[in-house]
Amino acid sequence: MILTNIEIGLSIEIDDKLVGNLIYIGKKHYPNEFGGFLIGNYSDDFKKLNITDTILPNRYKSTPFLFERENIGVDEQFEKFYKENPQKFYVGEWHTHPNNLPIPSNMDIKAMNNITNSKEVAIQNPIFLIIGYNKIKTELGFYIIFKNKIYKYETVNK
Amino acid sequence: MNKSEHLDSVIKTHQITKEEKLLNKFRERNKEVKDDLFEHYKGSIYNPFNSGSYAKNTAINTKFDFDLIAPFKRYAFGTKGTLKEMYEDVYDFLYEKYKDVAKVKKQKVSIGIEFYADSENDIVKIDVTPGRELNEKQYIEDSKLNLYVYSRYGKFDAGSERIQTNIQAQIDSIRNRATTEKDSIRKIIRLLKVWKKTKFDYPTKSYFLELITIKAFDNKTIAGNLWDKLKTVLEYIKDEVTKDSFTLKDKGNSSNDLADTLTESEKRTLSNDMKNILDRIEENDENIKTYFPENAKFKEDKKEENKYQVKGSGFFTIPPKNERFG
Ligand SMILES: [Zn+2]
Repeated sequence: MILTNIEIGLSIEIDDKLVGNLIYIGKKHYPNEFGGFLIGNYSDDFKKLNITDTILPNRYKSTPFLFERENIGVDEQFEKFYKENPQKFYVGEWHTHPNNLPIPSNMDIKAMNNITNSKEVAIQNPIFLIIGYNKIKTELGFYIIFKNKIYKYETVNK
Repeated sequence: MNKSEHLDSVIKTHQITKEEKLLNKFRERNKEVKDDLFEHYKGSIYNPFNSGSYAKNTAINTKFDFDLIAPFKRYAFGTKGTLKEMYEDVYDFLYEKYKDVAKVKKQKVSIGIEFYADSENDIVKIDVTPGRELNEKQYIEDSKLNLYVYSRYGKFDAGSERIQTNIQAQIDSIRNRATTEKDSIRKIIRLLKVWKKTKFDYPTKSYFLELITIKAFDNKTIAGNLWDKLKTVLEYIKDEVTKDSFTLKDKGNSSNDLADTLTESEKRTLSNDMKNILDRIEENDENIKTYFPENAKFKEDKKEENKYQVKGSGFFTIPPKNERFG
């Protein structure tokens, strides 16, 4: 699927299979939250982000209202993606909101800012995906912090 | 729902928002000038009002012409006060009031206040036209005003006191016409003003272009797409302005002929310019961009396109440790 934010003029493409996979993995942890890292790369004009894969955390804590992941033991996987052709790298993070909407909580916003501004993160604008779901439906929210403001992407086609 | 259509409308509305932001700046400044005049000339002035393009719904988005009419009472400047004294007094007042924040200068019948560019590089310009009612309290009945002509203006000499006009009627006429003829007249007027803006200090008044467009619609069958319509109006102007019989009656005062605001040679220039536009565009469609350019301001915004970027030189990242989401 392709998503875009018209105001900033940037878009995201994410493979439907990957989306399905993330939802599947996330729901397995019900009623707890869960999440991971997003892998991908940019289009030649740097206007589109392709999200291609996920890396799941080795160590994490999770409850119905909290998901804390560590970065221990994932280095090798990041290196492997980086050596691929085309090169793939860390582009953001995802996590679930069981029984809730994909709207960033205050804790999410704090984490999004920390990550965006972290010196260890090479890219300027990591993407944050929240998967909100309940028994009936699942909703995705893709967010970016761009020039200090949070923007949400909207679906343009499937 | 058609998605693309929707997106198109989203983009357009964003542009309107930008336009509106600038328009609000004009409105604020406009109110400031209006209030200052009313306060300073308390008792000697009727309510100042706007007669400019904005009120006429023909504003071009880069620059709104805000014309503010200051209608003075007959004896505002004494029983023997002249129109020149009125003009000079208003100039002196505005100059003192705004000299630190704007360029204040004398123009044909108005005083221009061009505020210095603000932090967003927007320039707001308000033209104040002082006018005086013909007889005591007559303005309330007929809305007529005598204006002072500062610089040479067509066949009226500088310093003359002859122009007399019912500005309110001018506004009403264009407003009514524009709404009944759908958008065509308005669009053509906009285009002609865009073209006029490409010329430096062009003698043809915007009001002249507005009236002649309306006259063209009165006298010609104007149909087809927007270019067909514009072309017909350009041809009409080219053919008509140089004719001896050419008149252009002011809707605000039928004894005032706008045709007289241009000299014979200025009319020939206008006609030649129309011919040039038509010929050059006939030769090459691309030339339409020269005569009717897009709004550079919006283009700049488009140029300054956002991109995903990296902070340094590489992309490789090990994500920061221990982040908590809720
Ligand atoms: Zn969350």
